Amino acid sequence: MKQWMCANCGWIYDETLGDPDSGIAPGTRWEDVPESWTCPDCGARKGEFDMVEL
Amino acid sequence: MNAAVTPVARIADMDDPHFDPFFSDELVYGDIADPYPRIAELRERGPVHAGTYRGLFTQRPDPTLGRFEHHTILGYEAVTQVLTDPETFTNESFKYNLGLSFGRTISTMDAPEHPQFRRIFQKAFLPQVVATWGESLVDPVVDSLLAGFAGRGRADLVEEFTLHYPFNIIYRQLELPPEDVRTFHKLAAGLGVMVVDMKSGLEASRKLGDYFAALVTERRRNPTDGLVSLLATAEVEGETIPDEVLISFLRQLVNAGGDTTYRATSVLLACLLNNPDQLEAVRADRTLVAKAIDEALRWDGPVTSTWRWVARDTELAGVPLKAGTVVDVVLGSANRDPARYPDPDLFDIHRDRPARHVAFATGPHICIGQHLARVEMTRALNALLDRLPNLRLDPDMPPPDIRGFLLRKPRHIHVRFDRGRR
Repeated sequence: MKQWMCANCGWIYDETLGDPDSGIAPGTRWEDVPESWTCPDCGARKGEFDMVEL
Repeated sequence: MNAAVTPVARIADMDDPHFDPFFSDELVYGDIADPYPRIAELRERGPVHAGTYRGLFTQRPDPTLGRFEHHTILGYEAVTQVLTDPETFTNESFKYNLGLSFGRTISTMDAPEHPQFRRIFQKAFLPQVVATWGESLVDPVVDSLLAGFAGRGRADLVEEFTLHYPFNIIYRQLELPPEDVRTFHKLAAGLGVMVVDMKSGLEASRKLGDYFAALVTERRRNPTDGLVSLLATAEVEGETIPDEVLISFLRQLVNAGGDTTYRATSVLLACLLNNPDQLEAVRADRTLVAKAIDEALRWDGPVTSTWRWVARDTELAGVPLKAGTVVDVVLGSANRDPARYPDPDLFDIHRDRPARHVAFATGPHICIGQHLARVEMTRALNALLDRLPNLRLDPDMPPPDIRGFLLRKPRHIHVRFDRGRR
């Protein structure tokens, strides 16, 4: 499982946790998150996330 | 931090040696104990209302945004709709207040220049960066403040801890010479008096700007491993950040990073001390610290309202809004909207599934320092619980009294504890 970070605000998408509030189930791989999904904290688009090692 | 820090010229004090920016806190941010019943009464009638948020609590005019037509936004859905639609609701509004105090900061910018600078500044405050400051910057400040009272058995946690805590961390980030800290703190607080004393606010802004200009020039010439050097040498598309933008950011850092965290940490401690069962639960199980912080931010966040500029004619919750007007976006109201949070007026760290709050706002301008604020609040709470055994309110003193309609904080938190480790 990997983590991706929003470059605009630092919110972290953790594949283990998903983003249930936005309809993304836990365990959803980053490549399966739809392009229409946006950062739940700041609204940045998926393309503005970078993969991170934490 | 690099030990060989080259000093810059001394910071210039205010012309009036008797200027006291701390005296005016209640004048600027209000003295009301509990604004939430009035807010709830209005929110029940609808999420959008004509008039200012400020006007609910004071007749004192606002010389910054007072000349514009306002609507006040109270419902969670309407608040988040405004904050996540930056094309309709822009940050032009901040050019008339924060812009006067801090200058051309990213808070006054909109796309396309906002995301360009935002990414550079955010990079210095990402979670993995601020996590490293915990031991190097935050803990030494905690140690020095606790040393002043841990052996005494009683303290005022505002006067002796929270009021100094985040500011001292910033001063270390900025590598300020100790002899300049007192004046610097006064000028930084002076930026906040613009609403009641425009002349002094502008003087403080100019003098801080002069100091930061010299500091930026020096750090570009002789970089250290500190924050100013990091930002002064960062590049956007091959060019360094313009001085005006960087100096404005540094002005805002002191206020936005210091003042809000001082208030948020004070409110967190007040909430837990006022609810001893929840304080005990956190003391016993530190995995609750994060939940306690988020619940305190939701229940009584330090910044009750923000503003946006209506850039084009639109409609919000059925209410028409005209271009060229201002919306007062009441974060504190959204965070207590019963449509979003069951029993919203209850402080409860054990909420089943804590809903996301907007204490740090939301959208592209969400608080850039939220990760540092969480680190600071976490380390402060853990340190106080670890090193002040049996921490409790002082039964012989008044309990903490959180006040203000715009920025919230208790003036005192009188506590007792078993004499602890320093």
